[in-house]
Amino acid sequence: MSRFDLWVNGERRTVEADGAMPLLWVLRDELGLTGTKYGCGEGLCGACTVLEGDAAVRACQVPLVAAAGKRYTTIEGLSPDGTNRCQRAWLDEQVAQCGYCQAGMILTVEALLRRDPRPTGEALDAALSEHLCRCGSYPRLKRAARRAAGLEVTP
Amino acid sequence: VISRRDLLRVSALAGGGLLVGFRLGADESSGPAAPFQPNAWLRFEPDGRVVFRVAESEMGQGVRTSLSMMAAEELELPLDRLEIEQGRPGDGVEGLGTGGSSSMASNWDRVRIAAASAREMLIAAAAARWGVAPAACRAEAGRVVERAGGRSLAYAELLAYAARQPVPEIAALRPKPRAEHRVVGTSPARSDGPAIVTGGARYGLDVRLPGMRFAVVARPPVLGGSLASFDAAAALAVPGVEACFAISRGVAMVARSTWAALRGRDALRVTWNDGPHAAFASDAHRERLAAATERPAIVTRRDGEGHDALAACATRHEALYLYPFAAHAAIEPVNATAWVRDGRCEMWTPTQTPLGVQRRVAEALGLPPEAVSVETTLLGGGFGRRLGWDMEVEAAEIAAKLPHPVQLFWSREDDLLHGYFQAASADRLLAGFDADDRLVAWEHRKASTPHNARSRPTAQELADPAYLAGSSWGVTDTPYAVPHLQTSYAVVDAPVPIGPWRAVFSPPAVFAREAFVDELAQRTGRDPLAWRLELLGANDAAIPRHAEPGGRRLDRVRLRRVLELAAEKAGWSHPPATGRALGIACNVFHTETYIAYVAEVSLRPRPIAGRLPFVVHRVVCALDCGLVIHPDGARQQVESGVVWSLSNMKSAMTFAEGGAREGNFDGFEILTLDETPAIETHLVVSDDERPHGLGEPTVCPLAPAVINALSRLAGKRIRKLPVTAADLA
Repeated sequence: MSRFDLWVNGERRTVEADGAMPLLWVLRDELGLTGTKYGCGEGLCGACTVLEGDAAVRACQVPLVAAAGKRYTTIEGLSPDGTNRCQRAWLDEQVAQCGYCQAGMILTVEALLRRDPRPTGEALDAALSEHLCRCGSYPRLKRAARRAAGLEVTP
Repeated sequence: VISRRDLLRVSALAGGGLLVGFRLGADESSGPAAPFQPNAWLRFEPDGRVVFRVAESEMGQGVRTSLSMMAAEELELPLDRLEIEQGRPGDGVEGLGTGGSSSMASNWDRVRIAAASAREMLIAAAAARWGVAPAACRAEAGRVVERAGGRSLAYAELLAYAARQPVPEIAALRPKPRAEHRVVGTSPARSDGPAIVTGGARYGLDVRLPGMRFAVVARPPVLGGSLASFDAAAALAVPGVEACFAISRGVAMVARSTWAALRGRDALRVTWNDGPHAAFASDAHRERLAAATERPAIVTRRDGEGHDALAACATRHEALYLYPFAAHAAIEPVNATAWVRDGRCEMWTPTQTPLGVQRRVAEALGLPPEAVSVETTLLGGGFGRRLGWDMEVEAAEIAAKLPHPVQLFWSREDDLLHGYFQAASADRLLAGFDADDRLVAWEHRKASTPHNARSRPTAQELADPAYLAGSSWGVTDTPYAVPHLQTSYAVVDAPVPIGPWRAVFSPPAVFAREAFVDELAQRTGRDPLAWRLELLGANDAAIPRHAEPGGRRLDRVRLRRVLELAAEKAGWSHPPATGRALGIACNVFHTETYIAYVAEVSLRPRPIAGRLPFVVHRVVCALDCGLVIHPDGARQQVESGVVWSLSNMKSAMTFAEGGAREGNFDGFEILTLDETPAIETHLVVSDDERPHGLGEPTVCPLAPAVINALSRLAGKRIRKLPVTAADLA
């Protein structure tokens, strides 16, 4: 057990834990931020995606020792009032079914938009195709990502 | 506080034989600050909030929203004024538990009666205050308004008066006719949406309690195996691990974090007894299933001369279809959180069956059921897996040995390898034509492993034709009219745990039946749509009483209508683009939901790892599910059913050496966004004024529609799932 400092949603947090503990469990079990979801533990499903700086990373693949000193944004910290462009687009398109996997997808699109404010629809699709949803929200997800990017949304 | 309790049991409105139990209460002694609780479903708070209890589990089907719409409609209350509370065992709300695509149908009467009853009491309260007849008043937007006068009072101002009003006779309540609906039939935003996009939605794994510990369980790798011995020393040395002990299904590891519990389990030294199934393999099981269809087994339906008519036919056609084991693979793995203390167990769980959990946990702990409370959280997907209670019983067993609450975590591997599964099946179909090439004989032999929800059927049930007919959805209730018809079921045992999976018995049977119908069209050079319409030409499908409760009949006219609509919207009569083909299929689910799909498909020029070997460009759906409560929600269920069914074409669960092999999403590969077709849904304005289900019906005929297109493109019939590149070569 060692002490690690990291920045989460703008706050400095000190965690005393095994340095091998994935950021996913640090967020959920040590810091009580349960908006970041477990789905596979292997980086396959994308449910645990968070922002590291402006980049999307899979929290199940980042050990605490590598997270120390870095800045993370989880779904809880994406906006103070739920009005981030992706959050709005997701509600406008009524994307969610069970909703469990959606935070990771929102953060992936947000990261893509921070890197490239004018992405193509294909780039959005490619990024979201690295995420899994068992309910089948994909058609709406496609539309919401385009809407968040300011692209034309075709039904 | 309820000072007067009545239990009023009524035969509900026309169309149902449903018994609705209302626990009606009114507090006559308390002052204006007391809430008005007209029945178990509704509670009017003095601050204007109206709390509505939902009996159903929210697992993505939007049930909280659609049930609230039913209540708001009769309450004459804006939808956003309803605050949703999850029903719990013991709170009086009937119908706790979610499955069988039945939420709309089973709540339609209950919720409307509960709401209409409350509305009438509020109207009577205002009328009494004003000294006018109730008929001189009406409810509107959360207020009672005097029709002629202009006086009005908010519901919140009427609570103490309303509580003193007699409870209306149920028979006198008149729910609104369809023409007067203002909420039902619209598509308001889902109530959980804002919480979902901000991380505030609470699923089972998000339960956090003071002092809560985290646990995982090591389970035997071989089906039916058991614990031989274990050495916990190395596990207990892992920082954060606090306890390690045997439970009925394996070895529990309790720690301060999920990660520590997982590390502890990795360090555990354990030996297992493999038991008698260590050689079980799904490949060999598939051969047994196929062999079991070589002759008729237990006959589940027989019309005319049945199987015997085949012998006299001029020509015959036969095909064998194979369907694999499959997992539910909800992205939230199964889990449960329990706290056992002072002779009680509190349970927080994303369950589809709070009553089943209460009963089984009570049994496991030797407690009376009322000593077990069950709080249903949001479910991160359900699909039938959470009709089981194995996870809650495990959590309770662990919690019983601890002074703190404990959250039982199943990893993805635990969830895929140790759940229960959709049964593998073989379906053999035989058709006989007369000398004029008319279809006169039809035989459908199903071989599979039946289940009775989460338990194994008894030997008596497995020999009972009526019981097996009840496990033959899509077989015995074929919509097609053939004079000589026989269906049968061959029970093939498997050590694999089998349980309800979205659409339960239907997917294998409908896949086989709808692909076979297409084969027959192809064989006789007919158009697959025209051929289906021809076979549906009469409206006389008498479904045997044992196949459908109440002897309900399916309506072939409604099925024809959705087939024709889907075909028209998909451009069936125009040739598709080069390299593409259209396929069509249909089904009737429990005589209630009528659905047809047309899929436009092409072969993938070269295979891509992790992707289907074909491309589905577009799916057109036409459906008639009776009254549609939330049209956008209905479309969402179609999208969900299409994606689910395509996943079912992509991968399967396999077993070797007695254990499941696909432990994560790199083995059990579900559909991805870039494989998802454009999906277009057309809702038929139905003659049926009652709502029916969509969660399961939308799954069944999609795979055969795709298969029928693929078989044209590949130049050969594809008769198995999943579909691999080799199948198409």
